[in-house]
Amino acid sequence: MAIIERPSAPATVPAIPSASLGALKRPVTTQHGWRSWLFTVDHKKLGIMYGATALFFFVVGGLEAVLIRLQLALPDGRVLNADLYNQMFTMHATTMVFLFVMPMVSAFANYFIPLQVGARDVAFPRINAFGFWAFLFGGIFLNLAWFLGGAADGGWFMYAPNSGPVFSPSHGVDFWALGLQITGIASLTGAVNLIVTVLNMRAPGMSLMKMPVFTWMATVVQFLLLFAMPVITVALFLLMFQRNFGATFFDVAAGADPLLWQHLFWIFGHPEVYILILPSFGIISEVLPVFSRKPLFGYPFVVFSGAAIGFVGWGVWAHHMFASGLGPVSVAVFSVATMAIAVPTGVKVVNWTMTLWGGKLQFTVAMKFAIALIVLFTVGGLSGVTHAVAPSDTQQTDTYYIVAHFHYVLFGGAIFGIFSGMYYWWPKMFGKLLSERIGNWNFWLMAIGMNLTFGPMHILGLQGQPRRMYIWTEARAGEGFFNLAFWNLVASIGSIILAVGVLFFFINVLVTARRGAQAPLDPWDARSLEWMTSNPPKEHNFDSIPTVGHLDEFFHRKYAEDHQSGEIRKVQGAEEILAEMERNKDAHIHMPSPSYWPIVLALGLPVIAFGLIYSIPVAIVGGLIVVLGCFGWAIEPSTARDEDVDPPAAPSTEVVRHG
Amino acid sequence: MTSARPRPTAVNRLGSMRRRVLPALALVALAGCASNAPQDTWDPAGPNAQMIDDLQRPVFAVAGIVGLIVAAAVGWAIFRFRDRGQAIPKQTHGKPVLEITLTIIPALILAVIGVFTVRTVFDLSKTDDTEMVINVTGQQWWWEYDYPVQEEFGITQPIITSGQLVIPVGTKVMLRQTSRDVIHSYWIPRLNGKRDAVPGRVHLNRIEADEPGIYAGQCTEFCGLSHANMRMEAVALSKEDFAAWVAQQLAPYESPADGLAKEGEAVFLNQCVRCHQVNGLERADGSPAIAAPDENVVSGAAPNLSKLMSRNTFAGAMFDLLTPACRRDVWEASPADFGSKYLAGVSEDCLNQTDLRGWLRNAPEMKPMYANPALLAGTGGKYRGMPYLALTESDIEKLVAYLVTLK
Amino acid sequence: MAELVQEHGAQHGSTGISNIKLGMWLFLGSECLLFGGLISTYMLYRGRVGEGPTPMQVFDIPFTSVSSFVLLMSSLTMVLAVSAAAKADDRSTVLWLTVTALLGATFVGGQVYEFTAFYNEGLGFSTSLFASSFYVLTGFHGVHVTVGIIMLFALVAMVRRNRIPGSKSETVEMIGLYWHFVDIVWIVIFTLIYLIPV
Repeated sequence: MAIIERPSAPATVPAIPSASLGALKRPVTTQHGWRSWLFTVDHKKLGIMYGATALFFFVVGGLEAVLIRLQLALPDGRVLNADLYNQMFTMHATTMVFLFVMPMVSAFANYFIPLQVGARDVAFPRINAFGFWAFLFGGIFLNLAWFLGGAADGGWFMYAPNSGPVFSPSHGVDFWALGLQITGIASLTGAVNLIVTVLNMRAPGMSLMKMPVFTWMATVVQFLLLFAMPVITVALFLLMFQRNFGATFFDVAAGADPLLWQHLFWIFGHPEVYILILPSFGIISEVLPVFSRKPLFGYPFVVFSGAAIGFVGWGVWAHHMFASGLGPVSVAVFSVATMAIAVPTGVKVVNWTMTLWGGKLQFTVAMKFAIALIVLFTVGGLSGVTHAVAPSDTQQTDTYYIVAHFHYVLFGGAIFGIFSGMYYWWPKMFGKLLSERIGNWNFWLMAIGMNLTFGPMHILGLQGQPRRMYIWTEARAGEGFFNLAFWNLVASIGSIILAVGVLFFFINVLVTARRGAQAPLDPWDARSLEWMTSNPPKEHNFDSIPTVGHLDEFFHRKYAEDHQSGEIRKVQGAEEILAEMERNKDAHIHMPSPSYWPIVLALGLPVIAFGLIYSIPVAIVGGLIVVLGCFGWAIEPSTARDEDVDPPAAPSTEVVRHG
Repeated sequence: MTSARPRPTAVNRLGSMRRRVLPALALVALAGCASNAPQDTWDPAGPNAQMIDDLQRPVFAVAGIVGLIVAAAVGWAIFRFRDRGQAIPKQTHGKPVLEITLTIIPALILAVIGVFTVRTVFDLSKTDDTEMVINVTGQQWWWEYDYPVQEEFGITQPIITSGQLVIPVGTKVMLRQTSRDVIHSYWIPRLNGKRDAVPGRVHLNRIEADEPGIYAGQCTEFCGLSHANMRMEAVALSKEDFAAWVAQQLAPYESPADGLAKEGEAVFLNQCVRCHQVNGLERADGSPAIAAPDENVVSGAAPNLSKLMSRNTFAGAMFDLLTPACRRDVWEASPADFGSKYLAGVSEDCLNQTDLRGWLRNAPEMKPMYANPALLAGTGGKYRGMPYLALTESDIEKLVAYLVTLK
Repeated sequence: MAELVQEHGAQHGSTGISNIKLGMWLFLGSECLLFGGLISTYMLYRGRVGEGPTPMQVFDIPFTSVSSFVLLMSSLTMVLAVSAAAKADDRSTVLWLTVTALLGATFVGGQVYEFTAFYNEGLGFSTSLFASSFYVLTGFHGVHVTVGIIMLFALVAMVRRNRIPGSKSETVEMIGLYWHFVDIVWIVIFTLIYLIPV
């Protein structure tokens, strides 16, 4: 099959096998029903599945957060006991990082990268499906620990030796380590897939410097994942060998160095921070220009600063370890490197502000989330600078000041960006506009709740309240305006407001699904390629693959500048552009066929993991499932012949399936 | 803020300059000024913390100003460029000169901050003028303080204590930190930043207090179940009072003459001495009673209870040995009176009977610890923390009477 | 990565490299950090032998040199297989792929023998930090070689029955990339572990 129609060299004609084996027939090609989701390889369906799963885990992680705040609302809280609290904050962070923000980014990247670069699907559609299922099963596996003797209790950073078998005797850490391995496989396959898509499958004319910024940032993130995931993989393997197979990698009595874990973890962990935030930078770099009615200010600077963050992000990991006794030279070097990374980050803030400057601003909910991101992220970035200063970091680290900092960055940054993207792209994905009225409730409650929850944590931290404490005590709370009791209570009330704000989003989704009107073709008068198709896009994305001449290609097709007056005039609408694309429709569009094997292969992974924890024979069964999956996968062509489909497919009307 | 002592470091010069130049600093400074917050990070009480404070104040000021500028710019843009029906703006793609300028300015600001940061990092790491050494060992979930022999301070034999770190004022004290199990972090915010105590490593952490008083701290590296309850208090005494404290710690053990306390000593010998050492305590046959915490506890250590009543806290500084009123009396004493009040120790009237009895009755209920025998398979039956001892009420009565004699 | 074989075999995109080969290159980039992490762990811990034997007590350098040579030779035969595939010469492709796989299997067999010998000399998996990190590093490499062997045999079967869905030569080349990578990693491991004294 060909994603982009190009003349292909004779040597590369695919050799289609003469016949398929009976047991390996293909799933029905259908657009509806559960099987159309279970066996799909369509990047858009997978994107939606990623998003839905991520939002589910967002609710789980959010409820964990609310429980944490309820426990800390008053001194000597009694909502959770120490053990449960430790599991709660561990799983809150793990869930939000690995099971919400990262897959939510996968959702957007899966759905929109092919659309933004003008491709019909990703490079490896079945690997894409496998990635989703591995993520889903990994996420479920991680959370199963709650019901099997307690979840992981060592914090998301899982420092050794506290994560060892003596200090964490439940199976929680085992589920955590193996669950993250499985989601890590998902991330790695996703990274390979999306990078190849971006590098190899862009529409004709779309040079790298004409790519939309979201695609750029998401691509930088995939590179970070590509190189960061193996490092945590090593760390998790060492942990697993220690806990389940008697190795002593972090056992000090055997001569091990517990700082090995910290280095491995943060060499992964700091790029991970940028993995979480850069896609949201990309999203608002799409949203701000659209609703400012002018291009992104300094596109090359935004792109290069994103790439620079991606590079420098590898050289700052030890700033998480300023208190761990590195020695003054290392501390000084990492301190200065950390300050250096503030520069490209600052460049982005400048560019977003300058994009607004001189524009014609429309305050849709998507725009409000985007503008709020600029301000909230700046707060988080500046508090970041205060602990790049290593000596003051030794006062701030492991206090609530850090909690405040990274929630401003990750909630005010990453999550606000994600919500901006939801409001912006919802009509593209589902054909209906989310209600702006409910959206405003959603936005304002989240903005107020977010600041009430995390703002006071700056005070709490500077007043000396450490993190990860299941209780705080009146005796250390102080009096006066900055007393811990008052601000802890404010933060807890804020978290409820925040939760209600998020609830409004789900209400909005339900209301829109039931009553929302069909969205117009180009509801925001947008600028990039993903809007140059129907809402939602057809299975094959574009009737004809556009040839790209500009950054913001769609805008340039709609508008023209009058050379004399400099006035911008609309020359044609989205309908006309689409009609023209339909007239020039590509003759043969072959889409990859659904497949059973991605889900089979992914299903083997948690079985192996169960086996490693409880019983090796089970792991062998899991291994056999994986082998079976690989075998079925390997001999199946990515595009099926009609007689291979089980049962035979009805002749399809619009899209010609191969064969 | 307490004292902004004149210290002629470069950082301080930067600090005082900005203090004059930037009125916004007042606002930021105010943010750190809660009264009586014992772990306030903006309230230095010694030169190390002061060095950090001198650095962080201007940095916060700069950060605050930059934040205000960004917020103002965004706010102005929102107001000024809202859609009022104006024409579609010119499609400008950026102004490289402006862009580069706005890249260089923050880079320069950060470079200046970086220079002072690096200087402070090296200033803080200075150890060659250390005057006193104390070994600090963390374990779940308390700190042990071990004073090696230092004749110049009258420490002629090692002193081992826990709960409160006692130091002389105006003395550069080096904490040699390590851990017996997981990673902990030692942090007395008013004296210095935090430094991890890592098993298998010795990390150096310098502190010095300017005035007598109690300085609160808290373990800040997550260390398991009772991390939240792993507190510390540093007690600074004048040099004379410190000498008195050393003499008190080194005074020979006096067995209670008779009565309830003597019976309590027997209970102690029967139960507590399995883990807890009291220096000089002898068994009925006259042999020294040596504790063997290594046989019972994962970390292999339990607090040494010699001179217990010279401290104000127990159970990893989670509970006070003093009643709230007596505690307030000590904590809020003026620097001049503090020493004598602290050295008086815990009298029978001031003893916090409630918590101490509760602790003896069922310690794991008072402080989460790994003491449930069902969960100790992986450790060969060793506890992490103190187990439930099933003491009778009369044993508790006797023990309290005995413990209060340990001064 | 046998699963990569199938997708859009012949697609040459903007980079001029086919999707499957580009995907393999990226995957191998990722693998570099995996082995980087494992090698760092080994380098940190190789001197920490505890009560157990030291590296120099157990290592049989002549034996390992021979098995390393066998693995290196398999890279040569892999090159021959790739070149045969490029000429669409199925017979030679099958031949050289089989030889490559057999050489790889010889190496893995040598590793199994070596592990057994070490174990008998008192170097169990959890004997010391050196032991654990040695077995994990070389074990991971051995697993990689084994996966490569399975892919090679699968490739042989698929070439013979003409069941490769994409371009044959691209697929062989992609597996070749993987195989060479595994060999190069072994050169690094062999040098660092066996040749540089502790």
